[in-house]
Amino acid sequence: MPAACAMHDAVDSILPSARALLSAVRCEYADIRLSDSDGTTITLSGEQVETFSSGATIAGSVRVLCGGVWGFVSFNDPGRLERHFSRALEIAATVATSEKTRIRACAPVRKQVVTPAERDFSLVPLEEKFALISSYNGILRSSKLIQTTRATYRDVRTYCAYLNSEGSEITYDRAYCGVAFSSIARDGAIIQLFHESVSGYGGFELARGREEMAEGVARRAVDLLAAEPVPGGTYRVVADQKLAGVFIHEAFGHLSEADFVHENPRLREVMVLGRCFGPEGLTVIDNGDMPGLSGYIPVDDEGVLPGGTRLITNGCLSGRLHSRETAEKMGEEPGGNARAISALSQPIVRMTNTYIENGSGTRDDLLQAAGDGIYAVGFIGGETNLEMFTFTSGCGYEIKNGKLGKMYRDMVLSGNVFTTLGNIATIGGDRIMYGGLGGCGKGGQSPLPVSFGGPHLLITDVLVGGRHD
Amino acid sequence: MIDRVRGVLSGRARWYDIIHTWGASTPLSFANNRFHSITERHNSGYGIRVNVDGKTGFSYTNDPSRLAVTAERALALAAFGDEEDFELPAAAGSGFEPWDDAIESFDTAREAAGAEEDIAAILARFPAATVDAGISRYAGGMRLVNSRGLDATFRSCRYSASLSATLIMDDGTRIDASESMSALAPAAHPELRETIIRNIGNALSVARLPSGTVPVLLTPRAFARLAGIVLSGLNARSVWKGISPFGEKRGERIFNPSLTVRDNPLAAGFPDGYPFDDEGVAAADKVMIGAGRIERFITDLKHAQKLGIPAEGNGARGFSSLPYPSYSNIIIDPGMEPREAILAGMGRGILVEQFIGLGQSNTITGDFSGSLELAFLVENGRIAGRVKDCMISDNIFRLLAGDIVMSAERERMGSVLAPSLFLPSVNCTG
Repeated sequence: MPAACAMHDAVDSILPSARALLSAVRCEYADIRLSDSDGTTITLSGEQVETFSSGATIAGSVRVLCGGVWGFVSFNDPGRLERHFSRALEIAATVATSEKTRIRACAPVRKQVVTPAERDFSLVPLEEKFALISSYNGILRSSKLIQTTRATYRDVRTYCAYLNSEGSEITYDRAYCGVAFSSIARDGAIIQLFHESVSGYGGFELARGREEMAEGVARRAVDLLAAEPVPGGTYRVVADQKLAGVFIHEAFGHLSEADFVHENPRLREVMVLGRCFGPEGLTVIDNGDMPGLSGYIPVDDEGVLPGGTRLITNGCLSGRLHSRETAEKMGEEPGGNARAISALSQPIVRMTNTYIENGSGTRDDLLQAAGDGIYAVGFIGGETNLEMFTFTSGCGYEIKNGKLGKMYRDMVLSGNVFTTLGNIATIGGDRIMYGGLGGCGKGGQSPLPVSFGGPHLLITDVLVGGRHD
Repeated sequence: MIDRVRGVLSGRARWYDIIHTWGASTPLSFANNRFHSITERHNSGYGIRVNVDGKTGFSYTNDPSRLAVTAERALALAAFGDEEDFELPAAAGSGFEPWDDAIESFDTAREAAGAEEDIAAILARFPAATVDAGISRYAGGMRLVNSRGLDATFRSCRYSASLSATLIMDDGTRIDASESMSALAPAAHPELRETIIRNIGNALSVARLPSGTVPVLLTPRAFARLAGIVLSGLNARSVWKGISPFGEKRGERIFNPSLTVRDNPLAAGFPDGYPFDDEGVAAADKVMIGAGRIERFITDLKHAQKLGIPAEGNGARGFSSLPYPSYSNIIIDPGMEPREAILAGMGRGILVEQFIGLGQSNTITGDFSGSLELAFLVENGRIAGRVKDCMISDNIFRLLAGDIVMSAERERMGSVLAPSLFLPSVNCTG
């Protein structure tokens, strides 16, 4: 791995040229992003080393707003920055448009940020990383019923710079690390899998001490072999903290992204601030300024500091997520939610760390309140079209008279966003945040690191897919 | 530059290969009924794979000045790799390029004007709609060099267009309709807006369908998404890991005899083809499922060697990853019956255009649950409104083994050419 100072040099050596270009530009706005990354990925599968790779990438982009049109050029040869800057201006001038894009001006931000780490993973020998993930893989394979596994360790060190024509200049020496575990159990024709992942900003300590998580993955995969498919129907569902987090991310978080709302008059009527969607105790927050979590950002990719946005307060819409462009259009303040997956992509409105605030009550209180229904645990994936959502929980349990019963598999939950928010009957007081090595996808930019969470929720009338035979 | 790396690796590796990819794309983006941005993306990179004492190491970079360091890293990482005993090919296929010189005729002003026409046509029919559009040109290439003397290059290009429209109804419900196309060179695509206008028109009224089993007709796009569940089971990596339901079934007829699926990287006019794969293995047209019978697994060199099967040109990778088995162009044979005749004869059922969330559950055994993002009730051969808030849940292996009917007409969506598929009885929860 190149020394950190070499990574800094590759970016820092371009900064004088970037400053000169930005100070001379005659446009409404321009920014330049540069990055140099170095990372290691180890994936073990069963008894195999599927991947052990390490590599370095350099990236950059120029974005200009000229004559109300965005021009964007991305590249991996920052030494030709002047050419790319000229090209961005040139292509923006090739298309004439009657309705011009405007953005919110912001005060310049100048800061240097370094991820704090207990143990810098750049200094950890490859042998030690390999030994750690091998030990987790051993735990994932701990039952004879486990057919195969997948244990991934990943670290990425990125030194990046953001400069804009307003005078902002931010450098960020970022360290991202995490692990992901899967076990696939098989009994004849029945094949079941379970998956968990954790990531964040910090050092090698983020990957260590995950034995319990690996044990849980192997155990759940084996337990699922005996689980029954859930019968299709409409249920009272108690969602665990992770599923509650996915629900608020998928079902409401995306709807709060103002790029979906700002130029759609009908949607603006639906999403008018003050409109009430959920119970009085429902408060939802997106906050990029939560250091360590996967969705942490010291500043967004337009140079805006994250402030924390209350999306729902006491059941009513109280805010939304903005870029400078959507904030200008809607007359609201940008809260630091313009994010790009890398310096090669344009920033778009994205979530950071999104969660439901605690109410009160324990899991057992919610199970009692449910009476009969389903307890849905964890998640495999989710998707929304801003009206309907669908997500798959890792597994589920029958709830009978407030007690957990048999285990269910293949739990796919679906519903209308607004109806389901209104059907939240009880909010627990045991919030947990989650963020894994994967992330969120939007506009072809995936996976963007985010975290999400919530307490246990009791939701009535949830549609669960399944057979009727 | 690659020659310098050869010097670093020479005599220090049992074998090696170096992949160099490059490309430039120019996407135009329209959002919310108006032009939004124009982008130019340049990207290139190098991946170096080495085998030292039977073990494989890999490293990558997109900075040519770091190639020698990257080669040293790959050599060092080989100590941790698995034993891999396969040989690299000495010669690649040639004579085919997914390239059309007409890609150079891409004109941003003309494309922008075309997108504005599309948007205007949709707004003329549905003034409250919001329309997004994207048009892009890509041109790039790949060079592969290895220690057996292979040194091969090919160019590739693609023109693509997408159009999507959203209409929010008075009760807050949404109608989302989207269409896309791709080709080797710029081409007119009026069918995108025509299909969107037709689908939104059909979705304006909502029909109810009780839970139970219903006949279902999948459009080619919906069929392609479900077929993906089956095809993932024919991946040699899944077979090697013992998690493919088809691992022991090669040569067995387990689907309806009307189902034949090919993988063909050499298919004319498809923008995702190639003359050789990312390991230098010559591309080949091959039957994956022939008349309902599992014929072969899709594989790269590593898994071909592990399973004792031939590699036939399906090793894929970007510059920053190791190869893995992957499909090229998927071609599903058509049936005999016109789609309109199937629609007329299906009774009361569902026509599915778009799923949401399909494939995000455990589909290894063929079980699936897909919410219907855009689907229609069919009664007496006519569309009788949109079916909403409904999931179809079943087992795709069981469904494809049953009485299925494929339409005579086919449509290509990206790299998949498929007919419509009729399934006489599918579980539906609404």
